[in-house]
Amino acid sequence: MTTEPRQTFAGASLEVILERMAALGMQNAARGLSTMLGRPIQMSVPRLSLVPLCEVSSRVGGPEQEAVGIYLLVTGDLGGHVMLILPIADALRLLDMVLEVPDGATQTLGTLERSALGEVGNVSTSLFLNAIADATGMVLRPSPPAVLVDMVGAIIDIIVASAGAISDDILLLEAEFLGPDRSLDMFFWMVPMVGEPVEA
Amino acid sequence: MAAVAKPKLAQTLPPAAEEERVRSAGLGQIVVSNAPAEVLVAYGLGSCVGVVGYDPTNKVAGLLHALLPQHRYGEKNLAKFVDSGIPQLVLEMEQGGALRRQVIWYVVGGAEMLKLPGATSEFNIGAKNSEMARQVMAREGLTPRAVETGGTSGRTVKVAVRDGAVIVRTLGRDERKL
Repeated sequence: MTTEPRQTFAGASLEVILERMAALGMQNAARGLSTMLGRPIQMSVPRLSLVPLCEVSSRVGGPEQEAVGIYLLVTGDLGGHVMLILPIADALRLLDMVLEVPDGATQTLGTLERSALGEVGNVSTSLFLNAIADATGMVLRPSPPAVLVDMVGAIIDIIVASAGAISDDILLLEAEFLGPDRSLDMFFWMVPMVGEPVEA
Repeated sequence: MAAVAKPKLAQTLPPAAEEERVRSAGLGQIVVSNAPAEVLVAYGLGSCVGVVGYDPTNKVAGLLHALLPQHRYGEKNLAKFVDSGIPQLVLEMEQGGALRRQVIWYVVGGAEMLKLPGATSEFNIGAKNSEMARQVMAREGLTPRAVETGGTSGRTVKVAVRDGAVIVRTLGRDERKL
């Protein structure tokens, strides 16, 4: 990889600016999720890194791990893909909180459960984007959420195929939402669309 | 002379008896093997396409895990694309001892993972991948024995080098042999 000089703004590199913006967004989203779920939801500090395409799935337990992906497309001044991804067991715990049922009560992912997961994606992504939009004046619009229950490898094909058209690495903004007592670990990924959009 | 013989001896020790060794073809990778104990796997194919080849006489198996239909100018990794990956798979299998006309072919994957309301066809990469596989294989004169593409679920595909058995797995369903 070449070490060309990075664009800078007021002495900070573009990565740092993006990470700080994402941290603002994550804080806002974690606050909103805490209110929605009635439990304290923590967040990790977002990291921006280049990840080789074939290594993305290992971030969430490998390509054959059964998981839930909540996908939103972001359009506007900064385009990108947002994917919330979590193992099935964590998705069921999350649903217990959203649906206000006793822990362990949710066992299946039916229409209601999928719709509730979509709403979690909707709320957290909107709050994430709102904070960034407020701080920067950018216009950012999320699409309605799509909920996928499948193998991790198959779920991430959506974001990987789009980034893979341009390079062998994916520019991945990663953060995590953490529930109380490690009862929940939900990955929040954003893949900014860099450069010209690929023709359809 | 004994010093020379010793490492050779170590190398010829048989592998742990009958134990399967799994070799995975990651995104944009080709794996080829003629080791009977090996099983080649492509995990979690969503819109990606997996192309399996097996030469039953020479017991050579090959597996391509391609991400996108069409090769883009300047791309070095041929295995990332269906159209450049299939000829590359054939080439690597031939280098591995397979005879092209004996190879049995299978195509798996190409699901439509996402149906967003109002989304353009940009997202149906799965269908584009399977269609490209069909076209390229027809052009190359390769006739697949079985094709399992489309749908909306991810798949894992395995091929055993020992006997060429091709197994497909989908979440919530039993493994099945193609």
